[in-house]
Amino acid sequence: MTKMTIADALNKAHHTLMEADERIVVIGEDIRGGSGLEGEAELGGVFGVTRGLAVKFGADRVIDTPISETAFVGMATGAAMTGLTPIVEVMFCDFMGVCFDQIMNQAAKVRFLSNGRFDLPLTIRTTMGAGDGSGAMHSQSTYGMLASIAGLVVACPSSPADAAGLLKSAVMAKGPTVLMEHKGLYGHVGSVEEDLPAVPLGKGRLVREGADLTIVAVSALVHKAMEAADRLAAEGIQTEVIDPRTIKPLDEVLILESVQKTGRLLVACEDAAFAGFADAVISTVSRKAFGGLKAAPVAATPPDTPVPYGRKAEARWLPTAEIIIKAAKSLMEA
Amino acid sequence: MELEDLTLMFEKAHFIRAFEGALAAAADAGEVPGLVHLSNGAEILELAVASALDLPTDQVTGSHRSHGIALSLGVDPLALACEILGREGGMSSGLGGTQHLIAPEEGLLGSNGIVGGQVPLALGAALSAKLLKTGGIAVSYFGDGAANQGAVLESLNLAVVLKLPVLFVCENNGFGQSTAAAYAAGGTSLLGRARAFGLAAAYVDGTDPVEATKAADRLVTWVRDTGSPAFLEASVPRLSGHYHGDKEVYRTKGGSTGDPLDRLEAMILNREVTKGLVDGMKSRASEDARAIVAKATAAPDVSDKALEARVAEAQP
Repeated sequence: MTKMTIADALNKAHHTLMEADERIVVIGEDIRGGSGLEGEAELGGVFGVTRGLAVKFGADRVIDTPISETAFVGMATGAAMTGLTPIVEVMFCDFMGVCFDQIMNQAAKVRFLSNGRFDLPLTIRTTMGAGDGSGAMHSQSTYGMLASIAGLVVACPSSPADAAGLLKSAVMAKGPTVLMEHKGLYGHVGSVEEDLPAVPLGKGRLVREGADLTIVAVSALVHKAMEAADRLAAEGIQTEVIDPRTIKPLDEVLILESVQKTGRLLVACEDAAFAGFADAVISTVSRKAFGGLKAAPVAATPPDTPVPYGRKAEARWLPTAEIIIKAAKSLMEA
Repeated sequence: MELEDLTLMFEKAHFIRAFEGALAAAADAGEVPGLVHLSNGAEILELAVASALDLPTDQVTGSHRSHGIALSLGVDPLALACEILGREGGMSSGLGGTQHLIAPEEGLLGSNGIVGGQVPLALGAALSAKLLKTGGIAVSYFGDGAANQGAVLESLNLAVVLKLPVLFVCENNGFGQSTAAAYAAGGTSLLGRARAFGLAAAYVDGTDPVEATKAADRLVTWVRDTGSPAFLEASVPRLSGHYHGDKEVYRTKGGSTGDPLDRLEAMILNREVTKGLVDGMKSRASEDARAIVAKATAAPDVSDKALEARVAEAQP
């Protein structure tokens, strides 16, 4: 075991994958950076995830694009239909608004429309998450919306091992996978195995065991849920924390077994307040484990507004450990 | 152009026309699940382009109006008819249908229900051809309506930036559904647009078999040899409505254009093919097309079973 950041784990996984399979190409804006400029300057992506790839694998396989998300996400989709294995980066998931046709109508549907005659080994990497003052158009988290599109697999890692492992599984998958990386977690350090093993899509992770309450938390909220769980334990409330890792297909078994044990469910995420991931999990549990519930499930999500800019407003907008603790206590008292 | 080639084109063009006619009749009889967008008028141009391609190494994407493109590339007419009718034997067992025709084994990477949506996909086929060194090129058909879509304009630029072997074929029929191209475009020169992106661009009369064949050959060869993209604007009439059943209230009176198939017929009659032979080819095309569509109509609808298999695969 060794320690590294999520950004480093993703970078290392890219290197390993591209070395092993020359059909893998990386496509996106500024993923090499410095294209067309004098000198050897390399940005390696706005968060450094793709650094060093262009030098090693060349501009044919590490493709800087114009700011044309529709054209290059579509190109990546077409390339995946014809023999390449593209990893395409959409710099912020907010920018998917620009190229939504290629994601929703083209990439997500083509395997179905071919009646399964070919695979679409397409990985779309993107970033998400509030907390860094980036404002409404560089901060949202859209995994619930993306997961509602038939044909897409969506995964949201919270640790370096999961980030690298889910990327590997996405690249090996038969269909298109969206990997959503939280901006606030790139510097998060965690233990990883040297060879960064693949993490299966559709399998969640039991992060902490507890008998009183189940918290299902996604991405950065996993860490806030763990902080809340520590503090709740000091007050005698034993919290189970589940990181689903994959949004769709959801590891329903892991969640349902936990809720059958604890009888209480809290979902903490940065996704939409209405018809988002929290609602999907609560709906699933209500339909499939209703008899096991001791109290009505609770969602800790942001309010139903865009992400605000000012520091106080953004802090108020984000679910916090305090909000999770308060929600947990209300569940225990219900 | 050799008489033999012209005659072959005549036969194929009439088969496509008859196929569309038989589909229209099937639609009128309630046998087609959705609306069909017929290719009438574009046959010559599409056959000219197909004749220049190396299939299926070359891969083509098309718009919602792609029945004729599929047939020009050599897609099995029965499989095509079954797909359009949503019947067993269709390429995708009826899950795709008329606007989502997929036959990469014949060179049709896919047709598309989103105007312009197919154009970025062709860049991907071109990228694969380039990096995997297949020697192939990509071709993307779209209409003058799609020429105002961001997806298309972005793709013209990206193809030049990345030097991708792709031929853009803009079929200018003067209509985006029911809206005139002259109304919908800020600047009506499509060649000017293409050249502004740095593309090699040419215009051809898509109703002229000889010129269309020459232009397609020249541009396909250029894309293949240089690995660079090119743009072909071809004027083609849209002889039918936007979709079959469109009452076309927007059409101006007396604005009808000639039929390119008549032009081709006159050409071969002038070159010592007898009227009897010509009529024979036409009636054979018509009989063949009707028989194929009849066979497709008689095939069972198994799309629900195909759906079940896809649903099962989607389960975690």
